[in-house]
Amino acid sequence: MTPLIYLLKKINDRVALAVGAMLMVCVLYTLVEILTRQLGGSLGGVDEISGYAMAITSSWGVSYALTERAHVRIDLVRERLVSKGRAQLDAIAIMSLAATALVVAWRGWSVVAKTLSTGARANTPLETPLWIPQILWWSGWLWFAISAVLLVVYVMQKLFLSDEGAIEEAVGMGGSE
Amino acid sequence: MIPFTAFGLLGLLALSIPVGIVLFLLAFGIDFFFSPFPLMRGLGQVVWSSSNSATLIAIPLFVLLGEILVRSGVASRTYTALDKWVSWLPGGLIHANIATSTMFSATSGSSVATAATVATVAMPQARALGYNEKLFSGAIAAGGTLGIIIPPSINLIVYGFLTESSIPQLFLAGLLPGLLMALLFMIFTVILCVMWPSLGGPRRPSAWRERFIGLLDLIPIFGLFAAIVGSIYAGWATPTEAAAIGVGIALAIAVQQRAFSLDMLSQALRGAVRTSAMIMLVVIGAYVLNFVLTAAGVSRALQDLLNGLGLGPLATLLVIVLMYIVLGFFIETLSLMVATIPIVVPIIVHLGYDKIWFGILMIILVEMALITPPVGLNLYVVQSARGRAPFKDVMLGCIPYAFAMLLMVGLLILAPQLALFLPSSL
Repeated sequence: MTPLIYLLKKINDRVALAVGAMLMVCVLYTLVEILTRQLGGSLGGVDEISGYAMAITSSWGVSYALTERAHVRIDLVRERLVSKGRAQLDAIAIMSLAATALVVAWRGWSVVAKTLSTGARANTPLETPLWIPQILWWSGWLWFAISAVLLVVYVMQKLFLSDEGAIEEAVGMGGSE
Repeated sequence: MIPFTAFGLLGLLALSIPVGIVLFLLAFGIDFFFSPFPLMRGLGQVVWSSSNSATLIAIPLFVLLGEILVRSGVASRTYTALDKWVSWLPGGLIHANIATSTMFSATSGSSVATAATVATVAMPQARALGYNEKLFSGAIAAGGTLGIIIPPSINLIVYGFLTESSIPQLFLAGLLPGLLMALLFMIFTVILCVMWPSLGGPRRPSAWRERFIGLLDLIPIFGLFAAIVGSIYAGWATPTEAAAIGVGIALAIAVQQRAFSLDMLSQALRGAVRTSAMIMLVVIGAYVLNFVLTAAGVSRALQDLLNGLGLGPLATLLVIVLMYIVLGFFIETLSLMVATIPIVVPIIVHLGYDKIWFGILMIILVEMALITPPVGLNLYVVQSARGRAPFKDVMLGCIPYAFAMLLMVGLLILAPQLALFLPSSL
């Protein structure tokens, strides 16, 4: 594995742990809220915060799933091909993914930009300035696009060198686990 | 427009492009070729609002709950305890496989996790006791599918989210059909093993004393189920909050079983983030495609097409059921659900069927997809726990259970009350 791919995996592993830690905080906050509610009070905002946490989990988590080769792909045709054909399909797959990620990151920015220009706040008791969760959400998609583009560059280079093993290792199909 | 969508979907999937990305690409394509106005300007907003959802956070939490439970050793104790209760039946330990799957389904939201857990515990027993592995492994693969019909269920959450139906009602609707299906699995096993004893293995009677002592080992699982489902119906917690309660209790169980460590927790968190991000890419893709299909009028065109066939509601329903069975051979479960819900559910509602009821019907069909080759995730999960044995054993072993599922589909169509009785009585 080249340093680039290794680094990418390493970063995304840390990302996953950070997202996981955020989920644990959400669990804790929710438990405290349920208890408080039984005692007649309420911290409020559980649904709102969980929503933001989910948006961030999705946008940042997809990069981890990408470098872990965990995104579901149908291998009916792929498994019947020789390694060269597989590597070509893997290249098509990662290029489609990168293109989509770039479009989502680009269109996603308009959501953040609009919020920044209007200074919109959530229509809730917390009145969260929406740009905060949205920036955190959008940067996840941006990182997904960057990760994917780096992988495309890597795969193109390996495709040129006919190094199918490296392609399989970086963007092939992991097990179902 | 319809052929474009259908062939586009199948073609892109065949290229082994990630399923979530295929849904995005189709949406881009329909927007580019067929929409009179540019829909993709709204893409960012659609992605943001589909993932900014307190309902969906139940997905990572239920996955996390399962990850913690698997690592805490509860599974093997549960299996031993249930073995004492059910293995006197013809078919022996095969019933313990089904019963353990049923119990685990009640705490796990995913079929793959359920099958993987039970397979790891059960497969070594089959070898040690000299069971015929066909029916034995088939029962694990099929039993595991109960994970998505017996609440909690990630697939029902996704269904509820995409069709805007009540998740507590869906959970309640799945309970009775799920238990009934487990019972059907056991009845089928008994019949087969009485007719051909070589399909099973030794029956294992146990003393009543042992049985009751074993019940102690079931407390954690029962407690977890009661806390999750109970807190929803007592009105203390939403399904999302119940998932948080479940995670809390699972952690307590892990600590009590002396399985908890920081390393174990971080492995569980990685697993939860990986699996839920994988699910979310597909769900967001489906949401975007749904938005485009509706705006560009594809859903309506398909509805007109089906109406134009001049079939009655029942015949249309049967066509849809048949379509799921066929597609289920080739497409992975969650992808199958999210790709078809936007198109099929409006048609079903238009025909006058109940949305909650159809959710359960769809789940059973999707469960069948999990055990039908070539793309049946549970088959592979069970196979990977077996190692060197031939794959066709698992496939053959699943056939009787696939028929039990078909029977359940028929029962549910004949008697919708099986699903609707519980939600309507609360």
